[in-house]
Amino acid sequence: MSNPVTIIMIEDDEGHARLIERNIRRSGVNNKILPFRNGTDAVGYLFGSDGSGTDQKGKALLILLDLNLPDMTGIDILKRVKENKHLKSTPVVVLTTTDDSQEIKRCYEFGCNVYITKPVNYESFANAIRQLGLFFSVIQVPPAAA
Amino acid sequence: MTSDTRRRRALGQILLLAAGLLVLVAISAASVLLVNKARQDNALVVHTVEVENQINAVLLELRRAESAARAYLLTRWPEFLTDHEQAVANVTPYTDKLAQLAADNPFQVENVKKMRAAIDIRLDQFKREMDFIKRDEPTSAAALVREAAAGNTNAIIRDVTDKMHAEEERLFDLRTANGDRSQILASSVTIAGSCIVIALGAIAAFQVRRSTRVRDEAATKLRDLNVTLETSVQERTADLREANDEIQRFAYIVSHDLRSPLVNIMGFTSELEELRGDIFKRIAALSHTASEAAALPENATDSAEPALEGADKQLSDDFSEALGFIKSSIAKMDRLITAILNLTREGRREFSPERINTRELIEGIAATVAHQAAEANAQIRIEPLPEITSDRLALEQIFSNLIDNALKYLRDAVPGDIAIRGRTKLGFAIFEISDNGRGIDPKDHQRIFELFRRAGTQDKPGQGIGLAHVRTLVRRLGGTMSVASELHKGSTFTITLPVNWAAKRKADA
Repeated sequence: MSNPVTIIMIEDDEGHARLIERNIRRSGVNNKILPFRNGTDAVGYLFGSDGSGTDQKGKALLILLDLNLPDMTGIDILKRVKENKHLKSTPVVVLTTTDDSQEIKRCYEFGCNVYITKPVNYESFANAIRQLGLFFSVIQVPPAAA
Repeated sequence: MTSDTRRRRALGQILLLAAGLLVLVAISAASVLLVNKARQDNALVVHTVEVENQINAVLLELRRAESAARAYLLTRWPEFLTDHEQAVANVTPYTDKLAQLAADNPFQVENVKKMRAAIDIRLDQFKREMDFIKRDEPTSAAALVREAAAGNTNAIIRDVTDKMHAEEERLFDLRTANGDRSQILASSVTIAGSCIVIALGAIAAFQVRRSTRVRDEAATKLRDLNVTLETSVQERTADLREANDEIQRFAYIVSHDLRSPLVNIMGFTSELEELRGDIFKRIAALSHTASEAAALPENATDSAEPALEGADKQLSDDFSEALGFIKSSIAKMDRLITAILNLTREGRREFSPERINTRELIEGIAATVAHQAAEANAQIRIEPLPEITSDRLALEQIFSNLIDNALKYLRDAVPGDIAIRGRTKLGFAIFEISDNGRGIDPKDHQRIFELFRRAGTQDKPGQGIGLAHVRTLVRRLGGTMSVASELHKGSTFTITLPVNWAAKRKADA
């Protein structure tokens, strides 16, 4: 992936976060990964203290989003990101345990770019994350503006 | 209204009627008695008057006799003589009659005796006067008249009759008063009785009105209840549905949240497994290096599986065994959670009833399992089946689960024979899926329908979900399901479904 894209990982489960990070690294992606354990912290980082998102204006970001967060649902964050004029072009990858077809449909309707279900089977899980990493290495993200 | 108050009210009405009847009887009896008494009193009054009249009559006759005798003495007209004789002749019978009338009163009897004595004297004087006149001795007669007038006979007679009059007047007053009292009593009793009857009638009317009102109120209440019953049934149904939805949501969330830690356990177990490989590879390499003392050190790391020996090999095997158990348990747990998720998802699905040719539907299922059937050396016979209105997907799941089970649990040595039969009865379609497989012990007939429970030899893969799922679906479709089976003789599953199932009946299921 063209540097310097930062991967924002919003995942409440530390174990999941560790496994995801490990497998992304194994696929050869070395970008900076910023982990957030809950929705509030992530929202605070993404939209700043005034909630406008000006802080992140022009930065190259990619968001890895879990839907089941302790303080809010990932869908709320997805909606806000896609409604914010500075962040709406940021790719959002929803990575969650939910495989409900209604939920998947809603996420795409709100503008999610990729939806991946975490398989319990670790081989499938590792495989999916590695493929995601490979995908990251070829994906084009809106570049950082001057 | 409780039965107690109702009984009390009925008793009250009976008592009221009885009281009314009693009062009427009492009034009638009292009236008859009092009227009789009044008649007696009146008869007594009349008797008194008669006695007085008789006294007067006797006196009148005496006076008549006296005056006629005097007139005859003066004039010597024979008419006066006749008159006198007539009067004298009347006196004795009249006196007898008076005695007869006054016989009931001892005081009057005494008086009549006295009076009779005086009258006898007086009559004797008359007789003597008349004798003197007949003998033509007027002076003697006149002297006798004078003597009589001066004598006290007349005075005695007057005295006695005055006494008798007084007595009769006293009796008259007494008897009149008695009669008046009887009449007043009679009318009082009549008036009082009428009042009581009117009062009882008023109470009865009041009670009738009250019971009518109570009945009207009850009728209104009943009508209201009927109206609200429908509403409350709907409310309850809505509550039940809500509770059911809540359980479904709960199961969904729980199974979902259980999955998350499972991903970690599985993930890090796999990581551990990889670590184990690295660790034991290094141990093997190190022991090789130590024992063979620098014999081709690079080859050691390159070789895929450097041989472990003795205690190291044991350690490695234990490690693998532990990891193997952990992984298989996690896999099982994952399957269970997935099964619960699928069940809740099924439970939340809305059914859409449509006309279904069940024979075609089951033939389609048989076609998809044809390969398995051939492998198991089994045949599936489908007899003519009724058409029903129901949910297609649910029916497919029901029958494919049952046919799968029949194929899965055949006896190894015996060619399989699976038959599907159907008939209709009283608006219900009855399907029977029978096989000649291994059968189910009767003590397990309930157990097989429970979630995650299985029966018999556990030589086939499965979660113990199929039949639980099938029964849930059948119930949601408004039907029932049962099994008849004997070990080693095959099983027959019977499913009863309504021929015309409407979606709204889901609430009842």
